[in-house]
Amino acid sequence: MTGSIVHPLDALDSGGIQHGLTAKHFLAAIACDVLDFGALFEVDWMLHTYRFSMIIGLIVATLVLAGCTREVVTEVVVTATPDPAGASAPPAAPPTTAARPQATEATSTPASSATPAVPAATAAPASVSPTPDAGDGVENVYQIGISADLTTTNVWAYLGPDGTIWNQYVLGGSKPSLYTYSAQRFDWVPSLASDFPTALAEEPVDGQTFWTTEVPLKEGVTWSDGAPVTAEDFAFTAQTVAEMQLSGNWPSIVDPEYFDHAEALGPHQLKIYFKQKPGLARWQFSLAFMPIFSKAYWEPVVAEAMQAGELTEQQKVLYAHDASDEPTAGGYGFEKWERGAFAEKISNPDYYFSDTVVTQYASGAYFETKPGGHEFGAFGETGGDKSLEYTVGPYADSTIYSIYGSQDATVLALKKGDIDFMLNPLGLSRGLQEQLQGEDGLTVIENPNDGVRYLGFNFRKEPMSSKEFRQAVATLIDKEFLTSTVLQGVAFPMYAMVPPGNQAWYNADVPEIGKGMSRAERVARAVELLKSAGFTWETEPRVSEDGRFVEQRGEGLKMPNGEPIPAIDILAPSPGYDPLRSTFAIWIERWLNEVGIPVHADLTGFNLIVEKVFDQQDFDMWILGWGLSLYPDYLESFFHSRHSGLQGHNAGGYNNPEFDKLADQLLAETDVEAARQLVFNMQEFLAEDLPYVPLFDTPLVEAYRSDRIKFPYTHSLGGLQDASGLTTLVQFK
Amino acid sequence: MTGYLAKRAGQMALTLFLIVTLTFFLVQAQPGDYATFYALNPDLPAEVRAQIKESFGLDKPLWQQYLVHMKNTFTGNFGVSFGHFPRPVLDVLAERLPRTAVLFLTATAVSFYVGFFLGKAIAWRRGGVLEYAATISGATLFTAFTPAFGLMMIWIFAFKLGWLPVGKFLDPLVWRGAEVSANHVFSYMLVTGAAFIAFAFLVLFFFRRSGRIGSAPLVRPVIAVAALAIPVAWAFSDIGYLALDILRHMILPIVTLTLISFAGTMLLTRNSMLETMREDYVMAARAKGLPEKVVRDRHAARNALLPVVTSLVYSLIFAIDGSVIIEGVFSWPGMGMTLLDAVRSEDLPLVMGSMVFIGLFSLLAHVIVDVLYVYLDPRIRYQ
Repeated sequence: MTGSIVHPLDALDSGGIQHGLTAKHFLAAIACDVLDFGALFEVDWMLHTYRFSMIIGLIVATLVLAGCTREVVTEVVVTATPDPAGASAPPAAPPTTAARPQATEATSTPASSATPAVPAATAAPASVSPTPDAGDGVENVYQIGISADLTTTNVWAYLGPDGTIWNQYVLGGSKPSLYTYSAQRFDWVPSLASDFPTALAEEPVDGQTFWTTEVPLKEGVTWSDGAPVTAEDFAFTAQTVAEMQLSGNWPSIVDPEYFDHAEALGPHQLKIYFKQKPGLARWQFSLAFMPIFSKAYWEPVVAEAMQAGELTEQQKVLYAHDASDEPTAGGYGFEKWERGAFAEKISNPDYYFSDTVVTQYASGAYFETKPGGHEFGAFGETGGDKSLEYTVGPYADSTIYSIYGSQDATVLALKKGDIDFMLNPLGLSRGLQEQLQGEDGLTVIENPNDGVRYLGFNFRKEPMSSKEFRQAVATLIDKEFLTSTVLQGVAFPMYAMVPPGNQAWYNADVPEIGKGMSRAERVARAVELLKSAGFTWETEPRVSEDGRFVEQRGEGLKMPNGEPIPAIDILAPSPGYDPLRSTFAIWIERWLNEVGIPVHADLTGFNLIVEKVFDQQDFDMWILGWGLSLYPDYLESFFHSRHSGLQGHNAGGYNNPEFDKLADQLLAETDVEAARQLVFNMQEFLAEDLPYVPLFDTPLVEAYRSDRIKFPYTHSLGGLQDASGLTTLVQFK
Repeated sequence: MTGYLAKRAGQMALTLFLIVTLTFFLVQAQPGDYATFYALNPDLPAEVRAQIKESFGLDKPLWQQYLVHMKNTFTGNFGVSFGHFPRPVLDVLAERLPRTAVLFLTATAVSFYVGFFLGKAIAWRRGGVLEYAATISGATLFTAFTPAFGLMMIWIFAFKLGWLPVGKFLDPLVWRGAEVSANHVFSYMLVTGAAFIAFAFLVLFFFRRSGRIGSAPLVRPVIAVAALAIPVAWAFSDIGYLALDILRHMILPIVTLTLISFAGTMLLTRNSMLETMREDYVMAARAKGLPEKVVRDRHAARNALLPVVTSLVYSLIFAIDGSVIIEGVFSWPGMGMTLLDAVRSEDLPLVMGSMVFIGLFSLLAHVIVDVLYVYLDPRIRYQ
C-alpha cells in the first residue's frame, strides 16, 4: 500500500490488522464498525452464532414480556374483599371570578365556579348502591384522558400560582368544604356543614365590632388517616391563608378585607368573624367553598414554612411541599403521579358521603339522606316528581388521569377504549365531534357553557362613549345569522352577560337588541339611533328594495359635534387562534362599514390584545371572551368604575354611577333572593347601556365510553368536565 | 490540538454569548411586554413578583435588564418556572432530558443505520429496482407531513391493528404499582446503553491493540454476548418489565422517525459512495481480486463514512431538543413539548432556559465533530 492510492481509513481493511495502531486509527475503525453491522455476516460460524444469539434474545424477551404481563394482571385483579363504596362527592373547588380574558387554550386558570360537591343526576335516576365491582374480583378503574400534565400535587399551590385547569381536574374534590353546589341546579347546600349558617350578626369583641356567623358541622366525617374533620381544621386553613397572604385564587376565597378569624366553639361548631359585613360573594360563595386542610398533617409543614425567612420564602416552602401523602376526606386519595404520563387516585373507603342518596324534586326541593347518618332537606317540601336522584359512590376503585400530547391522540385513545372519558375545558373541536358521532360504544353529549365572547368599547373615546352608537352597533350585528348560517351552529347567540345555561341567575327578560330583525330593519334602526344622537351623513345608507343588502353605503358620517367619525379599530383574535371570534370581527367590520362607520377588524395575537386593552388601554373596540363563575359577582368586576384603572377588569372605562350603586349593593347583599333580583336588574341595565355587546358562546361537547361507564346525569352547565368527570358518581357496566 | 481546543472553547463562549443575547432580544420582540409579564403575572405571589423584578432588573432600562440577564445566565440562574412554580428551570429540564434522549438517540441511531445500509447498497448497484424503490419511497416519506404521517401510523398500528399503544411512553396500568419513577428507568436505560457502547469500544480497542492474528473474529461474539447479557440482566431486575413497557411505547415513534428521516442519510451515503467508488484504491482492491462485498464494505463504504458520521454526530446532539411535532403526536413529554408548552403558557424562564441549553448542546456538537474529524481522517490537522 502506498500513500498515493490508499485512503488512510483503508489501512484497516480486512486484509490486515495493522501493527502499532494509534488511538486515532482505532477510533476511525470503531466508527466504521459501529455503523457496519453488516460485516457481522462475513464468517459463517459468526452468522450461526449471531442467529443463535438472536434466538436466545427472543426467548429472553418473551420471558420478560410474560413477566410484564403477569405484573399487569396482578395489578388489576383484586383478591381481597371488594372496596366499600367510598368515593367522595368532590368537595367544591373554590369559586373564582373570571380573572383573565378567555383564551382558547386549555391551560388557563380555573375560571368557572365551584364544582358540585355532591352532584346530581337527572336523566337516569338510578339509585344503585355503591358496590364497586360486579363480583368478578376485577378492579374498576375509571380512566380519564387529559391534555396536559399536573404541575403540583399541593392544593395550596394549585389554588395559588399553579392554578391550571388540569390541576383542578385531578386535585379538586379531595378536600371537604362547608357548603357546595347541588348537581345541575347549583343550589347552595351544606357539605361538611350540617345545616345552613346562622344569620350574620354584629358582635363587639374587645372593643372591636365583628360580623359573626356560626356553622354546625356534620359528625362522623373523617380524614383518611382516621382523624375526625373538625372546626379546628377550618380555622387552621383560613388562618394559614390569611397569615401567609397566599396569592392566586386564595384572596378571592379568603378575602383579607373581610375575613378576620375563625374559632372552633367545639369539634363540630364553628364561628367565623368578619371585619365588615360580607355579601354573598365574600362568604356564601367564596369562604364557604374553601377547601379545608387537615390541621394534623399541615400544621408542622406550615410551621416549618414560617421559619423560612421572608414571606416569599415561606410561601415557596409551603407550595413546594410534596403533598401526595396527605390524608383526604374526599372520595379519592392521591396515590401516584408519574410526571408527564399519568396521575392516579384511589378510592377512600372512609368517605363519609358514600351511600348518601340525593334527591331533587321538580318543585325545587332538595333532600339528601345517608343511611345511619344525616338527613337534610331544603327549598320546600319533598314530594311530587323527582328531577334527579342518585346515590353517591365512588364506584371506581381507582381513577387514572392519562396525559396525552394532543386532543387528536386523546380522541384516538377514547375510540380505542384506552380511556373512558376525556376532560377538556373547551370540549371537542367540531372535526372530532363528527369523528365520534355514531361511533360504537361512544356517546357524545352537548351542554351549555358558562362563558361569553363579547365586543367591548373604549368609553374614553368618541363615538364609543355614545350609548346610541353602541346600540346601533349592537343592532347591526346579526348574531343569529352568524351563529346558525355562517358558523353552522357551532355557537349560540347571547344577549345577556349571564349565560342562559346559568339558570338560577339568568334573566330571560333581558332586552335582546336586534333579535329577529331583517337586514333592512337593522340598518333603519341603526340610522334612527344614530340620528337621534345627532350623527349625520353626507350620504345616508340605503337598503335594496328586497331588504337583503345595502345598495347605497353610508358616506361622510359625522359625529354630533360635527367632526368626521374617526377610523375605528376592532382588536380581535386571529383565525388561527379563534376562527369564531375572527369571523364575527370580519362581519361586524362589513356591517358597520355599510352604514358608514369606518371600522377595521385588526386580527392579531391574543397576548397583544390583552396588552393593548388591559395593560395599556390603547384601543377603540375589542373582541375577547370570559370564562365565568356561577355566582355572577363578575358583573361588578367587569363594569364597576373602581376597576377601570390599568390592569383592571373594566378596561373599557365604563363609568355609570347608577350601575356602580347596583354593583355595590350586590357585593353587600347577604340574601340570595335579593341578590338574584339585583343581578336581574344589572343584566337589564347592561343590555341597554351596552358596555359590552355579548356576542356568542359555544356549547361544550364531550364524549364518553357508554359501553363501559354510565353517569347519573349528563346535562349540566359547563359539561361533565366542570364536575371533573363525576368521579364519585360514575358507574361501570 | 490543545491550542486548537482552547481556541474553540473561546469561540464557543463567544457564540454562546451571542445565542443568549439573541434569545433575550427575541423574547423581547414577541408581542406582549416581557418585563410586564414577569412583573405582573397574577399567578405569582406579590412578594415573589417583587423578588423576580429585582433579580431580573425589570425595573431598570432595557440595556440594564440585558446585563442582569447575561449575568444570571452565566451564573446558572435560570430562575423559577412560572408554570411549575416553584420548581427551578434546571430541575424541569433535567426531568425532561432523559426521556427525549432515550427516544431520539435510539431513533437517530436506527435511522442512520437503515439509511447507511440502504445508501451503501443502492450506490453499489445503481439502476436496480432497489435504488428506485428506496429513493422514491425515501424521498416520499422524507417530504411527508409529519403530524399527519404520525397520526396515520398511530391509526394503523395502534387503533386499527391494535399492535402498539396510542402514544405516551408508558401504560398506567403497568406502572401504577411501580416503586420507581419513569425517569429512574430512563436513566438506567441510558446508563446501560452508554455502558454497552463503552464496553464495545474497549473490546475493540483491546483486540485491535493486541494485534494478534485471528483475534479479530472474537470481537463480535464478545460484543454479542454482552448485548445478550443486557436483556437477561434487565429481565432479572425489578424494573425490567417497566423498561420493556417503555420499549414497547418507543416502537411506533422510532419507526415513524426512521421512515421520515432515513432518506437523508441514505442519499448522503449514496453520493459519498459514488465518489469513493471512483477512487484508485477501490480499483486497486478489485485488482487484488477481493470479493465484491469486501471491496464495497471494507474499502468503499468505510471511506464514504466521513460525511455520514459528521451528520450522525450533529443529529445525535440535536436529538436532545427532541421534536415538538413527534413528541406532541406521540404524547412523549420531552424537551420539545417542554419548550412548546413554555412558549404557549408564556413561561419565559423555561423558554429561555430551554433555548440556552439547546444552543449550548449544538455548540458542543460542533466541537465534537471537529475533534472527531481529526481522529477519523488523520490528514486533517488543526493549527
